Amino acid sequence: MITSRTSGRGRKWRAAGLGAAVLAMTTACSGDEFLRMGMPAPATEEGSIIEALWTNSWLAAWLVGGLVWGLLIFAMIRFRRRNNDLPEQTKYNLPIEILYTVAPMVMILVLAMFTWRDQAELTDLTDGPHHTVGVVGFRWSWTFNYLEEGVYEIGTPGERPQLYLPVDETVRFELTSPDVIHSFWVPAFLHKMDVIPGRTNKFEATPNKLGTYAGKCTELCGADHARMLFDVHVVTRAEYDAHIQSLRDAGQIGVLDSGRSSDAAGVTE
Amino acid sequence: MKIEGWLFVSAAAFYGVIALIYSTMTGDVIGTTVLALNAGLAIIIGTYVLFTGKRVGTRPEDRLDAAIEEADSDYGFFSPHSWWPLPVAAGAATTFVGLIFATWIMVLGVTVLLWGVFGWLFEYQRGDFADF
Amino acid sequence: MTRPSQSEYAAPHAPREERVGRTVVKWITSTDHKTIGYMYLITSMVFFALAGIMALIMRAELTRPGLQFLNNEQYNQLFTMHGTIMLFLFATPLFVGFANVIMPLQIGAPDVAFPRLNMLGYWMFLFGGSMVTAGFFTPGGAASFGWFAYAPLSNAVNSPGAGGDLWLLGLALGGLGTILGAVNFITTIFTMRAPGMTMFRMSIFSWNVLLTSVLVIMAFPVLAAALVVLEVDRHFGSVVFDAANGGAMLWQHLFWFFGHPEVYILALPFFGIASEILPVFSRKPIFGYKGLVFATIAIAGLSMAVWAHHMYVTGAVNLPFFSTMTMLIAVPTGVKFFNWIGTMWGGSLSFESPMLWTIGFLATFLFGGLTGVLLAMPPIDFHVSDSYFVVAHFHYVVFGTVVFAMFAGFYFWWPKWTGRMLNDRLGKLHFWLAFVGFHMTFLIQHWLGVMGMPRRYVDYLDSDGFTLFNMISTIGSIILGLSTLVFIYNVYKTYRTAPLVESDDPWGWGASLEWATSCPPPRHNFVSLPRIRSERPAFDLHHPEALEDSH
Repeated sequence: MITSRTSGRGRKWRAAGLGAAVLAMTTACSGDEFLRMGMPAPATEEGSIIEALWTNSWLAAWLVGGLVWGLLIFAMIRFRRRNNDLPEQTKYNLPIEILYTVAPMVMILVLAMFTWRDQAELTDLTDGPHHTVGVVGFRWSWTFNYLEEGVYEIGTPGERPQLYLPVDETVRFELTSPDVIHSFWVPAFLHKMDVIPGRTNKFEATPNKLGTYAGKCTELCGADHARMLFDVHVVTRAEYDAHIQSLRDAGQIGVLDSGRSSDAAGVTE
Repeated sequence: MKIEGWLFVSAAAFYGVIALIYSTMTGDVIGTTVLALNAGLAIIIGTYVLFTGKRVGTRPEDRLDAAIEEADSDYGFFSPHSWWPLPVAAGAATTFVGLIFATWIMVLGVTVLLWGVFGWLFEYQRGDFADF
Repeated sequence: MTRPSQSEYAAPHAPREERVGRTVVKWITSTDHKTIGYMYLITSMVFFALAGIMALIMRAELTRPGLQFLNNEQYNQLFTMHGTIMLFLFATPLFVGFANVIMPLQIGAPDVAFPRLNMLGYWMFLFGGSMVTAGFFTPGGAASFGWFAYAPLSNAVNSPGAGGDLWLLGLALGGLGTILGAVNFITTIFTMRAPGMTMFRMSIFSWNVLLTSVLVIMAFPVLAAALVVLEVDRHFGSVVFDAANGGAMLWQHLFWFFGHPEVYILALPFFGIASEILPVFSRKPIFGYKGLVFATIAIAGLSMAVWAHHMYVTGAVNLPFFSTMTMLIAVPTGVKFFNWIGTMWGGSLSFESPMLWTIGFLATFLFGGLTGVLLAMPPIDFHVSDSYFVVAHFHYVVFGTVVFAMFAGFYFWWPKWTGRMLNDRLGKLHFWLAFVGFHMTFLIQHWLGVMGMPRRYVDYLDSDGFTLFNMISTIGSIILGLSTLVFIYNVYKTYRTAPLVESDDPWGWGASLEWATSCPPPRHNFVSLPRIRSERPAFDLHHPEALEDSH
């Protein structure tokens, strides 16, 4: 029978070292970004809820992981074969088994409580004042219908549509599709929602940071799925009004729900 | 066969309860239906196994103190080798391909499939094995 | 009083002069569960290599922004087929293969309950898999709508072409074969155990085969139905999955009701393999056998009640129900983890290839499990769903479990199957290359996803800032790909030149019944069976001195 002469000790440390190197290399340096582990700084009020849940849950996850990896590595070192003695043939230990059944249950319960609280808040549609943007995802770009103002914006894979939102004002997105399932994701909002044909999906966001943010389709929708991009501009009220006016001036008036800008019948007054 | 039967019966009870909870919480018809059908599948198998177990009684493999010699000396018939699974599968595959491309392929497939199924069923009742 | 080695009674190896044709006929008419199992394993590995090459091609394209050598449609076909082949034509048949070869031996049975049905399942896998892959040779190419084939993307309007039809019906055929295999396994375990082999003396691997098979008969019929109905929609103009009829959500519910149990179908047998290997290389029994069995039953049961955690971002599912059930499933999975560590604890550990691969599985799967708990939480999933974070997660859990434990099982059982050991040094080299390559490829993808890279994207912008991480991931994938060559070389080198194994149990500390018969076993597995008085009959046979030691 083949026995290994080298101890198991070196192996896990080497692996851990590699992991740490990758980690250090890849996380950004500042404290906040390090805790977020690559997550963009949230640009909405709701995003902050997600960010907090994320960083705290990861803390718990790393602790649990550290404990279990630690036990594994310890066992590999402490109990590696030294002689031919038969170790004690322990088959069970009820107190320990109960402990490691109950403890994870408690941890999961805690996680679940925070989750229930946060998901209720995030999916809630408020009664308060808000803008409404009708988002139409179609193969392969987006239409943004500014419903209160009665203007729209439409894009192509080659020319991304631009979504303008006024800062510190709640916006409700109403998502529809005339063809297949797409998904409306603004990574900086830390939130996405699917755009499903036959269904109108809604969610709310309150952008609170000025800036320009990338938007991407996140549900496979065919050949140009990777080109179904858009940009979100969170701007001051004045800039927002100016942009709406520019759309009006360009003649993009009405509600476009078909996804084809050449489809005059799709434009309703 | 008590443990085996109870495994399925408790699965049926579990999915029945889950179906009820799910239906109450969500009102979703699709999920409730599949969960209920799941419970149905489990109860069919579970009750069958329990009834069979009662009929057959305690077998040597159910007893902690059984000896190997207690196994039925006439253990059963095991097919030594067989060609028939191949035409059955080939017939099924051809039928599916024919469904996509052309009806005549489908007809060919069904023919091979039926020939294979009957060959399989009667393999050990014919030829060398007749009057077995 | 030691029994003579079963090897002395074993059937001689096939004489070298036997013509190839004769061997081929012997294999394709075989009703021997071991031969059929080997056929499943070999065919699965061929599909693994095929899908692995597809992955390398995709990683090559993604290394830098801009399209280098693929177009959008080709890329969509590649990831669709990579996922389809890995899940349906590699990992699932791999389970059937391992279960076929090992389980009857472990329960002391001479074969499975329905030997010809067993072979039928193999042919259905081979022919179904060939149909699916044949899509590449049709004018429109292979299916390109992703391995979950969401409606209406997968209908005749949005995905015309025979590739999609072949995909649907090929999988239906293969799925039917898997169901037949599961029926066979359940029947065998229920009716063909040896005397004294009560249910709670069965090895953990065999328990896991049973529970996996139960999951198969519950989940696969739903898949088969959905696939066939979608094909009827495509071919005969029915409108079941039309968007206007709520078809998009209907498909998702049906698909994921199958799809989630499917990943447990993939995981459980390999958890079973780990549970077999750890005791042998720790020289201790599996810790907490009954708790482990109940935890596995809990996982299997709960796995059918969590499907819509794949659908959180549809806005159309009940979040409290599914998030709670999903987080619950983490508990029995954690219990299993402590069972495994508890087996090592206080043992006498040695780190030959099977043990090394098993520990690699433990280390990798742990991280995948942690990201899984995070994904179970809808607020977090709202951000990372459908991004590379999910891609990273499922590669950690699936590759970490299936591939690592598969190689562990190969190195462990190779002598039992072939009568020769694989080279251990090469096995360790294989492990380290795979371990480093795997983590370099997939660890960094967590960051990519969180930063904002969606999955199934053929390309990304320079301004996205994803380039460096993609490069690292591609380099990792090359190392991972190369590691497989070490294994192939090992198989080739030991095929003729490694010495024949003399004993029934070359590892010395085998517990389950397969280690109480020759390497390889005779046609109907046992010339004689030892007395079965515990869940470790071969250990009791070979180490009578230990009998009074356990409590």
